[in-house]
Amino acid sequence: MTHAPSRLGAVALAELFDAPMLMRPVHYFGTGTAITELAPDSLREHERRYGPRPVCRDAVGDALIEQIERAELTGRGGAHLPSAVKWRAVRRAAGVEGAVVVANGAEGEPDSRKDVALLELRPHLVLDGLVCAAETLGASEAIVWLHENAHAARAALSRALTERADLDEPRIRIAFGPDRYLSGESGAVVRALSGGPAIPAFRTVSSAVSGVDGMPTLVHNVETLARVGLVVRGAACATELVTVTLDSTHVVLEVPTDADLQAVITLALGALQPQAVLIGGYGGSWRAWADLARITIAERSLRRHGLSLGAGALRVIEHNECGLQCAAGIARFLSEQSARQCGPCLFGLAAVAGRMSDLAAGGRRSRRDAERIGRFVAEISDRGACHHPDGAVRMVSSALSVFADDVVAHRRGHCLATGRRT
Amino acid sequence: MTTLRVDIVACEGVGICAHLAPDIVRVDSWGFPILAGTPLARGEKRQAESAVRACPHRALFLADD
Repeated sequence: MTHAPSRLGAVALAELFDAPMLMRPVHYFGTGTAITELAPDSLREHERRYGPRPVCRDAVGDALIEQIERAELTGRGGAHLPSAVKWRAVRRAAGVEGAVVVANGAEGEPDSRKDVALLELRPHLVLDGLVCAAETLGASEAIVWLHENAHAARAALSRALTERADLDEPRIRIAFGPDRYLSGESGAVVRALSGGPAIPAFRTVSSAVSGVDGMPTLVHNVETLARVGLVVRGAACATELVTVTLDSTHVVLEVPTDADLQAVITLALGALQPQAVLIGGYGGSWRAWADLARITIAERSLRRHGLSLGAGALRVIEHNECGLQCAAGIARFLSEQSARQCGPCLFGLAAVAGRMSDLAAGGRRSRRDAERIGRFVAEISDRGACHHPDGAVRMVSSALSVFADDVVAHRRGHCLATGRRT
Repeated sequence: MTTLRVDIVACEGVGICAHLAPDIVRVDSWGFPILAGTPLARGEKRQAESAVRACPHRALFLADD
């Protein structure tokens, strides 16, 4: 096991310990670029900060998979599947033809900015992880997959790739998909890179066995790969990357894994007592603030409470904001972002979104909406080719339970949160 | 162990399957098949096979695990 090289200064080491990936909060407004200008690490700054990257051929690659397993690294695109399992599956399937490794930076989650922040600040750390994967798995191709409008991330990556051109490592290319919610779904990434449309596919064989052009393929979120870049250097990474959103402001933070939600929200927004939080992004779960504040943010802790950090997106709503209205808007978005391939998703999410809008609008007409949504939810769950509809119904179901009092109030003609007549 | 499965992308919600295999296929509110996903019992196999043969989009298939 390697250790962080001693030529790191004392200050840099302290920073590494606290926030090895990001160092400081990054603010974004709306769909725009970061509010403060971000200067991506040059290769020199990167190597000064983290030390040189160990080459991962042969025995070093074997050791890296062990290190990844010991570090309990999981997929940060949102699924939190053990990364070592994926690496081993690809390695088993990769014969003489080799494999394909993909860094997935197509951040489709509207409330997440951690992936672009990472690409814009630490492109070399992500590329280190990708190169380590390529070397370990004997990949013939290494690709970074981005949204076509992620201009700042693209610029940072292009510059970083130019700087690495002389290094003795696998060549990396950048590829782009449309700016849609599902372009970053791993099946959609594999399909697009094989020459198809960037939408999920119905699969009976995992992409680890047959992915891009039929080759065994490893698709990892860019944060997962940045963590590989740390693990390979023997650096501990006891932090979570999250995006806290209030209205149109997104704050990307790196917080200790043992921080509770109260600490995370305070770090991002100051002293604020929210009404509720949507945890895990648009396909996540609503939870009343009182039930959430003391829960530790680590995925393992959240799972014990029936929650998941997903891709690290936390949307906060205040006491004067209508949770049902917010949930209805998100349900509408998710319905519109359906790849329109699977009936239960195409028709089911439209039906759910429609009833949610009626319910948020309130009045006697919405009398049976909650009941109908409940029936639809039971029909839609676990039936799509991807998990898009599952996330949508999870978000809607949790909204109906967290804002249950407001469901009743809306029916009677007023909103508890805003005080307005419905 | 044989299971009746559906390629939900290929499925267009024609619904013949639910008529031919009423014991193992029901349809949702929009006409798309909901399958039990459990291994077929001996008596169900014939129903499943006729549903697979009749699907105009070749969306249904039998999977051996």
